Amino acid sequence: MAGLLLAGPAVLGLAVLLLLPTAALLLVSLTDLEMGGPPLQWVGLGNYAELLRDAAFRGALRNTLVYVAAVLPLSVGLGLGVALLIEGGVRGRTFFRAVYFLPVVSLLVAMATAWEYLLHPTIGPVNAVLRLLGVAPVNWLGSSDWVLTSLCAIGVWENVGYVVVLFLAGLTAIPPELRAAAETDGAARAWDRFWLVTWPMLGPTTLFVVTIVAIRCLRVFDTVAALTKGGPNKASEVLLHLMYREGFTYFRIGYSAAITTVFLAVVLALVLLQTRVLERRVHYS
Amino acid sequence: MKGLASDLPRLGLLSLGAAVILAPYVFMLSASVKPGGEIFQATLELWPRRFYGVENYSKALGAVPLLRFLLNGAAVCAIILALQLLFAVPCAYALAKLEWPGRGTVFALVLLGLLIPAHVPALPLYVALAKLGLLDGYTALAAPFAVSVFAVFMFRQAFKALPDELIQAARLDGMGEGAIVWRVILPNAWPTATAFATFSVVAHWNDLFWPLIVIQTERMATPALGVLFFRAEEGGNDVGALMAASVITTLPMVAAFLLAQRRFIQGVATAGLKG
Amino acid sequence: MITRRLALGTALAAPFVRPARAAPTELVVHYPMPAFFKDVMDQVGQAFTRDNPETTVRFPAPSPTYEDALQLVLRQATAGGLPDVSFQGLNRLRFLAERNILADLGPFLAQDRDPAASGWTPSILGLAKVGGKQVGLTFSASNPVCYFNANLVKRAGGDPENFPKDWDGVLALAGKIAALGDGISSMHFRWPGDDWMFSALLYGYGGQMLTADEKQVAFGDAGLKALTLLDRMVKEGKMPPLTTDAAFQAFYAGKLGIIMGTTAYIGQFQRSAGPTVDLQTTRMPVITPGGKLPTGGNAVVMLTKDPARQAAAWQFMRFAAGPVGQTIMVRGTGYVPSNTLTLEDDRYLGAFYRENKLFRPAMEQIPIMQPWYAFPGSNGVRITQTIVDNLARIVEQRATPQEVLRDVTDEVQKLLPRA
Repeated sequence: MAGLLLAGPAVLGLAVLLLLPTAALLLVSLTDLEMGGPPLQWVGLGNYAELLRDAAFRGALRNTLVYVAAVLPLSVGLGLGVALLIEGGVRGRTFFRAVYFLPVVSLLVAMATAWEYLLHPTIGPVNAVLRLLGVAPVNWLGSSDWVLTSLCAIGVWENVGYVVVLFLAGLTAIPPELRAAAETDGAARAWDRFWLVTWPMLGPTTLFVVTIVAIRCLRVFDTVAALTKGGPNKASEVLLHLMYREGFTYFRIGYSAAITTVFLAVVLALVLLQTRVLERRVHYS
Repeated sequence: MKGLASDLPRLGLLSLGAAVILAPYVFMLSASVKPGGEIFQATLELWPRRFYGVENYSKALGAVPLLRFLLNGAAVCAIILALQLLFAVPCAYALAKLEWPGRGTVFALVLLGLLIPAHVPALPLYVALAKLGLLDGYTALAAPFAVSVFAVFMFRQAFKALPDELIQAARLDGMGEGAIVWRVILPNAWPTATAFATFSVVAHWNDLFWPLIVIQTERMATPALGVLFFRAEEGGNDVGALMAASVITTLPMVAAFLLAQRRFIQGVATAGLKG
Repeated sequence: MITRRLALGTALAAPFVRPARAAPTELVVHYPMPAFFKDVMDQVGQAFTRDNPETTVRFPAPSPTYEDALQLVLRQATAGGLPDVSFQGLNRLRFLAERNILADLGPFLAQDRDPAASGWTPSILGLAKVGGKQVGLTFSASNPVCYFNANLVKRAGGDPENFPKDWDGVLALAGKIAALGDGISSMHFRWPGDDWMFSALLYGYGGQMLTADEKQVAFGDAGLKALTLLDRMVKEGKMPPLTTDAAFQAFYAGKLGIIMGTTAYIGQFQRSAGPTVDLQTTRMPVITPGGKLPTGGNAVVMLTKDPARQAAAWQFMRFAAGPVGQTIMVRGTGYVPSNTLTLEDDRYLGAFYRENKLFRPAMEQIPIMQPWYAFPGSNGVRITQTIVDNLARIVEQRATPQEVLRDVTDEVQKLLPRA
């Protein structure tokens, strides 16, 4: 009984602030509601049918999935590497931790101009370095071939710090005795120690990290809104940005709600998949 | 401590990565002290020929009440955090340590809630707040975030790890469940609270989407909105002032993280990464 | 409880209570693009209150872009809290008017015996008319101009004093600038963002967006020529597919020669151009004699429906669109005044244009300005985006002008309201 009372306010709050509005939105996705437009009409699955025909939507879905597929493994991999490096010594821990976490606490709108400059095709430092190395300069943000790659790179930059800090936390939870024991057992090389002791012990952390980062990636919005607005010609359009554009720029609330519903379905599917695949491998001590 | 020579490869790699991470910030700081004409150049010149820092920073602080925005940001983040703890901690305790009908359903709802991004309930919430006349104030800025499923999730993990004897002893002492939550459980999960606080504050300090919709008077704007003010359509940016404003709004977060680093990592560690 | 003593006391006191002076009306005025307009609006507000002490002006948080300004008004029209007056992009007036959000200014204008004498010619008024109804007063108008870095032009063998007046000349010069190498780009025609500059080419060829009955896409022949010209910019003029921000940054660094875009950029170009840039402006190249240019900018509209507030709002709007307001506006931005009195009178801007060469081309192009076209129905914003996306295909050389014409005509047709 006490349980109900204690959980009650949270559940109520959850219902009012999250679940009810979401349900409302699901309902709206079955109408043709337009902001400030004619009174709404029921269209059933009409919006969804239109989504299937809409090249912009298909592109956005594909781009979002590609983004996740690129940024997730890279951030997790690099983040793990950095965490191991930081933890592998004593010098500079505080400094490097703070530096790598910096992107997580930064406002993307503010960083956008910095990125535009860094990635500028003719006057930017990145291309200047490429020229020094003898590689042809790339039109990072202006070419439909490269724009998604650039966004993925910025995505990794944004997320690495998050991963580093989470893995650092996980690493501190591993009892040092275990690693010492592995060493005496003959796992002298660092790589062996990692594979035999550290990696399995990081199981729960990895699951947590992968889930969190996957969701962050699926929700990519700020970079697209600030840097490319989905362009050129929808080459960098992603689900949430399309949803925002349809709802707030074109005022087609019903259609936008349909996109949101599909987005939710994708997120659910991905997280379920992940949990099933990873939980089998997670080692619980 | 390992010898410096053998530590060099590690330090070298870390520094390389750090250089990549810091590149945009170097530009940001450099641009914040340059006049407009010197910011975009074909050659890399980090230090301005004409030091414009005073002008840019005063413009950033003067053109909009940036300090007031910082205050709003701090207040809103504090209110949100307080509300989140108020709602989530008891609920997490109930889910972790108590048996009651409906527990499974509630937990499933929590997991569901984790997947719904803030943009989804945005429009219905906006209309509701507008009809209630509550827009354009701390209520509108804080209310939608009052219940954090992430908090429930994190605290539940942490509370599960606490020994049952602790709770039984408190009950024997005659404490009611409510008192147990606030006087026994939460103090024992302080690192988790710090960790969560960091996640929460970081997310809401930089939030642009929601304040953009609900704020109508300049006085109530948050830091993110303040920075956006300098970024007009199509290069109408006063880049120097924009960068100065960005530096000013990022600094508090960085300072706070530096101070709370250790606790934060400790907190995340105990938040159930051990399963 | 009202005792006799209290009632008596009040009755005796009444004659000694002075009637409160009528509180000044506070007008709520919303505007977009604070980076362009904040100083201007502050000054206009102060000047207005000096002349009209019974009205004060309050500016709620300005919207970052025209789109945000439109969204704000739409949201508040539904949820409540509309400001009294707002400044909206000229091509979005139609969208708002079709939803009956804008007050009809006809009756207010009628109070003015002769609008032209106040500086508002029929063509200026026409910019803010929708379906024959006057829904706004043009506040800031812009037209496309050609900016160039005279240093790069000279290096390429051109003469800044005699900048080419037709496209063949401009493209040839651009090609030579690109040939300078050293990371230098030739030109940028501001095709991303919206359909405004595209319409400059279209109107230049004497074309129209839709047929007179607005049921069919009409770019046809002129459209093909416009797209072909864009294609030539890439092939002959060597225009790189840069984002507009990247193009500006290259220009500031002295690494891009020519930019064609709205005169509103003057302010920021002056502020941001580096020391190697000798910034100059000139008129757009002539395509066909009699060709027109689109008008960008915004108009001030009335949102309040309360007659008392409307009177105050009208006074503000007249002021902003009047000679004093317009002078403040022009001096603070690169826009063109929407009031003929400002140009003729030295008290206002007569001397200004003599002294500031950069601002002249836009002013000289005023006679050939044509309203910014607004598509009918609720898909206007989407249509402009469709056009921009298709232009990208030409700039990236992924499609020929013929293919793009076919596709864009098709897609826009589908987005028009069904009869």
